[in-house]
Amino acid sequence: MGESRDRTGTAYALTVITAISPGQVEEVRKVIEGVPRGVSSPLAKLGTVHTSRLQIFDHLVYQGAPQKRDQLRWDYLVFTAAFDGHDLDPFLDSIVDQIPDEADSWWRHCLAYPGLKDRTAFKKWIRDNQVHTSLFAVASPNRSVPEVLESLALRERLVEFAIANQNQQTSAAELRERFRSAFGGEV
Amino acid sequence: MTAATLEPEGAPALPGNNLGRLICLTLFTPVRRQWLPVLSAALWIAKWVPFAQRHILQFNFIHFVRWTVVRELPFAGPREERDRLNYGYLFFESNFDGPWQHYIDAFAYCIPQDIRFVWGRGPAFPYPPPAEPLKKWIAMNSMEGGSYYCAYPESSTRMVMSAVAVKDALGDFVASSADLGPDEFKTRYDQFLSRLQNHL
Repeated sequence: MGESRDRTGTAYALTVITAISPGQVEEVRKVIEGVPRGVSSPLAKLGTVHTSRLQIFDHLVYQGAPQKRDQLRWDYLVFTAAFDGHDLDPFLDSIVDQIPDEADSWWRHCLAYPGLKDRTAFKKWIRDNQVHTSLFAVASPNRSVPEVLESLALRERLVEFAIANQNQQTSAAELRERFRSAFGGEV
Repeated sequence: MTAATLEPEGAPALPGNNLGRLICLTLFTPVRRQWLPVLSAALWIAKWVPFAQRHILQFNFIHFVRWTVVRELPFAGPREERDRLNYGYLFFESNFDGPWQHYIDAFAYCIPQDIRFVWGRGPAFPYPPPAEPLKKWIAMNSMEGGSYYCAYPESSTRMVMSAVAVKDALGDFVASSADLGPDEFKTRYDQFLSRLQNHL
C-alpha cells in the first residue's frame, strides 16, 4: 500500500491534497482560518496528533526565468498531519468518530467528497487524494503524543523537586522518602 | 493567499504558520521532470540509511520534517479537467522552533550540498552559499495562511528530547534505587541529577 514511506518509528505523515469545488475557495478559507487553535483545536480531541496544518494552495509560485509558468485551474485544500499510528485507517476512524462536524466543515467543499456517513467511501476518497511521503524524519520517532506530554510534565516535576530539596539540611532519609513519595510510581 | 514577502529577521510568522514556539514552513517548488526519479530515489535511500536520518536532524530545532515528490496533483474529477503541470513538485513541510530566518545561515553554510541537491533540481534556484538569496527564495516560496496545530506548542525540540531522556532515566533510577539505604540513595540521587544536568 506504500504506507511504509509515510511512517517513521511510531509516527505517520499524512498529506492529503483535494481540489476545491469551483467558487468555494473563500468559504474553505473562512472555515480553516476559523479553526480553533491550541487545546481548543478539534485535532487536540484526537489525542494522537503531534502537528497538523490545513492550508489552501491557490497558486504556484513562479520562480522566474527560465521556468515555464505553471498555473492552477483548481484551488486545493492541503491537509497534513503527523500522528501516532502504524496505519491510516484507525486515524480516519477517529476523525469520523470524534470530529465529524469539523472535518466535514473543511472537506465538504471539495470535489467528489462523499461525506463521513459512508465511512468506506470517505476512507477511499482520502486515499485517492493522498500523496505518499518520500522521506519523513522525526526528532523523537518512537514517542506518542501522551508520552511526550507526560515526559514534559515529569521533567518539570523533577526540576521542581530538585530545587525544593537542594537544601543541605534535608537528611538523606527525608530525601529518600520525599523522592519515593513523588516518583515511586515512575518505573 | 500570497507567498510571503521577505520579513525582517525575527519577524513573527503569519498565524497560519505558527503556534507557540513552533513554526510550520511549507514549500511547494518545481522540479524538472527528468530529475524526479533521481530525487525520489535519493529520498527513498535516505529513509533507510541511519546516517542520513542523523544528518537531517543534526540541527536540533526540527520536530518533524517531510519531503514528498508530487508528480501530479490528486484530482477526483474527470481526468481531462485535471491540472497539467510543466513540472513535478517537491512538497516540503518542516515543523521547527522558529523563526526560520535564524537557521538559514546554518543550512546555507553547513549543508549547502544537501540543499543544492534537493532543491537545485528546479529552475532559478539560488545555490547557497551565501545565505541571503536562499532566505529570499524560501520567503518567496513559503505557502502561507490556513491553520496550524501542535500538541505541545510551547516545547522546543530540545525540551521534548530532554524530557524524554529524563523520563527514561528517572524510570531506571527509581527501579535501581528501590532497595538502597538513605546514604547510598542520596549519593546515587546526586549522581543521577548530575548526569541529567543538561536535560533539566
